[in-house]
Amino acid sequence: MNEAFGLLLSGDAETWAIVGRSLRFSFFSTVFSLVPGLALGLWLAKGDDRPRRAISAVIGALTAVPTVVIGLFVYGFLSRSGPLGFFGLLYTPSAVVIGQILLSTPIVASLVWAGLSRVDPRFDETVSTLGGRGLAVAGAVLREGAPVFAGAVVAAFGRVTGEVGVAMMLGGNIRFSTRTMTTAIALDASKGEFERAISLGIALLAIALVVNFTVHILRPRNDR
Amino acid sequence: MTGEALFRVRDLEFSYGAGRGAGRGAGRGAGRGAAALSIEALDIGAKERVALVGPNGSGKTSLLKLLNALAVPRSGEILFEGEPASRSASLRRRSVYLHQHPFLFAATVAYNVGFGCARLGLSRAAREERVAAALARVGLAGFGRRRHRALSGGEAQRVALARALATGADVFLLDEPTASADTVSARLIVKVLEEEAARGATILIATHEKSLVEGFAARIIRLEGGRLADDSGAHA
Repeated sequence: MNEAFGLLLSGDAETWAIVGRSLRFSFFSTVFSLVPGLALGLWLAKGDDRPRRAISAVIGALTAVPTVVIGLFVYGFLSRSGPLGFFGLLYTPSAVVIGQILLSTPIVASLVWAGLSRVDPRFDETVSTLGGRGLAVAGAVLREGAPVFAGAVVAAFGRVTGEVGVAMMLGGNIRFSTRTMTTAIALDASKGEFERAISLGIALLAIALVVNFTVHILRPRNDR
Repeated sequence: MTGEALFRVRDLEFSYGAGRGAGRGAGRGAGRGAAALSIEALDIGAKERVALVGPNGSGKTSLLKLLNALAVPRSGEILFEGEPASRSASLRRRSVYLHQHPFLFAATVAYNVGFGCARLGLSRAAREERVAAALARVGLAGFGRRRHRALSGGEAQRVALARALATGADVFLLDEPTASADTVSARLIVKVLEEEAARGATILIATHEKSLVEGFAARIIRLEGGRLADDSGAHA
């Protein structure tokens, strides 16, 4: 355990490079999932008709799909014989980010939808009766939904940072290229080299705590 | 009824869950799918001062929301200046509805009141001037920087009224405007409504307040069980 802390505290270059890479992948996949996730969540929250119910059920299911299944699905597209194989993306950071976007988009969408569904119904009526439109309405929605949006983003970030299936299948755990905290932990533990695995586990735990604490802070007051 | 017919309601049937917004707080006292309102004919003229009275659940809130096209009838028609209310740009521009417990955006008082005049396309300075004037009218001058959470029930109600005034509307549909207000706030609200009425505004108030009914309204419409039970201006 001391050695594990030592790796972190001594600023071991490779350990911190892995942490930095994981956070970078998570950052980009979360950012790129924002537009589709928010759009989908907003659309779902605007009504309760049959198409919306069907799509919300699909999205709910997607949030629970094992990451390795998403990895396998994207692998089928990106492998050399797959329809997108000519891009040569498999086992690159881009492949990991693409897989993680598919992982985080349903999370953003479902949390935004769930959060906005609980927004006071008088909000819509107030905006309508005041003749709100365009940027004024967008501003009001952002203002009212800010904790919801922020909570969804942080939760999605936490989910992709802690996933292993997509990073392993699409990144290939290549040293100095696609190795993330979770894939490095899996590799080091399988080799019996527990110092780095534990040090990365500590880093991952710290990130998870920060993420959960942030989600708690951002959650609307009446949900706490 | 005095003046030109502004609202014309014919064969109106409304039930909760029947249309957009219908089941979302349009009123209380009836279950989803139950007939909440059934009105054969009702005209409201321009510049009228109308009090909607009746027991809880009689359809007062629903009627106000229907007139403001915030709820959709199951059948029948609601016309504003001869045009279907749901498609009337004039209705959206000229009328404003105030909740019994007003919703304020999670922002400052100035933002809330300014939202009401965003549609007017004013310059920033003109908007700020309008916001300040509206707040002064409801006795809240200098409240612009306060957060919505720091307001009492009566102050929130007055902010909502200031926001409505800032829109430049001349048709006010008010749901129990003095119910959550203290005596001072209630007096100010009535005073502002008197001023607006004197300027030629059309004002419909759903209320249980006897003083509002007797002192302010020129016409009293009583609803019971979602039906028109009495209308003092029906044959005027």
